[in-house]
Amino acid sequence: MFRKLIGICTVLAIFLAACSPAQATPAPTIIPTKASMVEAPTAVPTAERTATVLVDGLGREVKFTNPVLTIVSMAPSNTEILYAIGAGAQVTGRDEFSDYPAEAKSLPSVGGSMGQYSYEQIAAIRPDLVLAGGINTPEQVKALEDLGINVFYLGNPSTLEEMYANLETVAKLTGHEAEAATLVDSLKARVKAVDDKLAGVADQPVVFYEIDASNPNKPYTTGPGTFIDLLIARAGGQNLPGLTDAYPQVSLEQIVLANPAIILLGDAFYGTTPEAVAARPGWAQIAAVTSSRVLPFDDNLVSRPGPRLVDGLEALAQAIHPELYK
Amino acid sequence: MRHRLLPLFWTIIFLVFAVLLSIAVGSVFIPPADLWRLLTGKFSGTLPEPLATYALIIVSIRLPRTVMVALTGAALGASGAAYQGLFRNPLADPYLIGVASGAGLGAVIAMSIQWPYSFWGLMAIPMAAFLAALLTVFIVYSLARVGRTVPTTNLILAGVAFGSFATALTSFLMLRSSGEIRRALGWLLGGASQAGWMPVLGILPYLIIGLSILLLGGHALNLLQFGDEQAHQLGLPVTRARTIILVAASLATAAAVAFAGIIGFVGLIVPHVMRMWFGGDYRRLLPLSMVGGAAFLLIADVLARVVLAPQEIPLGIITALAGAPFFLWVLRRSKNQGYW
Repeated sequence: MFRKLIGICTVLAIFLAACSPAQATPAPTIIPTKASMVEAPTAVPTAERTATVLVDGLGREVKFTNPVLTIVSMAPSNTEILYAIGAGAQVTGRDEFSDYPAEAKSLPSVGGSMGQYSYEQIAAIRPDLVLAGGINTPEQVKALEDLGINVFYLGNPSTLEEMYANLETVAKLTGHEAEAATLVDSLKARVKAVDDKLAGVADQPVVFYEIDASNPNKPYTTGPGTFIDLLIARAGGQNLPGLTDAYPQVSLEQIVLANPAIILLGDAFYGTTPEAVAARPGWAQIAAVTSSRVLPFDDNLVSRPGPRLVDGLEALAQAIHPELYK
Repeated sequence: MRHRLLPLFWTIIFLVFAVLLSIAVGSVFIPPADLWRLLTGKFSGTLPEPLATYALIIVSIRLPRTVMVALTGAALGASGAAYQGLFRNPLADPYLIGVASGAGLGAVIAMSIQWPYSFWGLMAIPMAAFLAALLTVFIVYSLARVGRTVPTTNLILAGVAFGSFATALTSFLMLRSSGEIRRALGWLLGGASQAGWMPVLGILPYLIIGLSILLLGGHALNLLQFGDEQAHQLGLPVTRARTIILVAASLATAAAVAFAGIIGFVGLIVPHVMRMWFGGDYRRLLPLSMVGGAAFLLIADVLARVVLAPQEIPLGIITALAGAPFFLWVLRRSKNQGYW
């Protein structure tokens, strides 16, 4: 009888494990993403190590020996930043959701789903520094501090300039200032290229960026305060009018009223397709649907506050103004 | 006389086993030989690796967490038994009159403010949750009072109504808070959000007060089982006893929830299991539920750490997932089926 119970509990545990993040087939992005960042050679810096102090996003003074040799990243955006500036060889652990670049997936995971990290795993890795991000809470930072582990909290940027500053901060931590400077220059150049392309364009089509439409009558979208909103504007489009919250749920009526010319499916990863959108009752008359401008979009490009935001900007510009990219 | 203490003895043995399991097992595998050496040996100076890391994990991560989870389980188990006795209702759990909903609301409101990174800044959320929980109990109690008595039906109704209100408000705030929804959800699902000894120190004074009062209230609860009128005629000051027990149980629950989030099922199931195995005498049931609750939550915490390592599952999910089948098994095996 007891063995039956163990069996039942094991089955339940397996069931629980199977309910981990959906392994949906990644939806095709509308533009083949070019080799995005300047993948600088991931060499470990051999410069002499000096003691340095930097103030982090929580106002804490973080003392560390510069450059840091082993880092655990607690956010996917931080992982992307570290690899982009060439510090990939120094990363010894990552959170569960870090999936870009592909090399990161082979690193040991320290948890992070449902907001819980395994401090034991981080302690076992014994990194010189843990790079926390906006998705981490002050309590998590404190918990690691109490274990004697050095933590640097990289606050979420709200503009592209702040994102560049974050890149430079992480470069200072890891000793890759030169690569980061090159990267920032190239990012700025690409952003400028987009701005130049859009310079004379007067038309600003209304864009609807869908985050979730489990209830097609009340889908979730992004509003002011998010990078998506910022980048849509930068890419020559305009978001739905009248939004005030960062992730509001809007009624289908408002969408029909705004009549977006383009619909971007940020939930394409979870299986939403343009055909499914066209089939939704009430959606068929929207301009984007009638002109077949419902496009799947890789949400990670615009929701992770790292260098791939520029990829996202370019992708948005191509989606919103395809005529400029012929 | 000896046989009366036997159940408590066995339950304490089970608790000791659970404590040892909680220290020995985690997402990082510590070889039993090293574990034994660390627990029993004397060391001077710095330890060699990997023993140093193991020592850090055991002393700084697992030990405070074990104590915290045990205390939370004890609080929820004892409060659950007290509530079931007070309301004479098998469905009563420590969250019946809205402690959890109030705490959740307080926590989510506190999470929407950017507190400075300091001791008090980090204490803000548990404190807000604790105060909100107590405020909820006070409001519900005041709403339910009729003259000088507090009928249990009124308490339940007011608790459910106010609890629903608080929960709805919490959900609304979570939706509007955009960035903090992940943090709020994690908190609401349960599990010690703060690590280290700080939550233990935070929870301890309230638990000591609340649990000692509850342990002394066993006799009063036994009398209350006969109904208010009978208890009154047997010499119990009914309203005063009920209020004191209610406040003590709510204090313990509020402290537990403030630091550990909302962990359901423990307060409901553990007293029932203890009652099925050892009878309904509250003088025994309260300490048994306390110790049993601690042991049960420790086992659940071990599962939470181990099942999907290195991911950690929120405690509230595990208690329901693992606790429900266990309880159903006990129910089927119990010789006293239908005792209520």
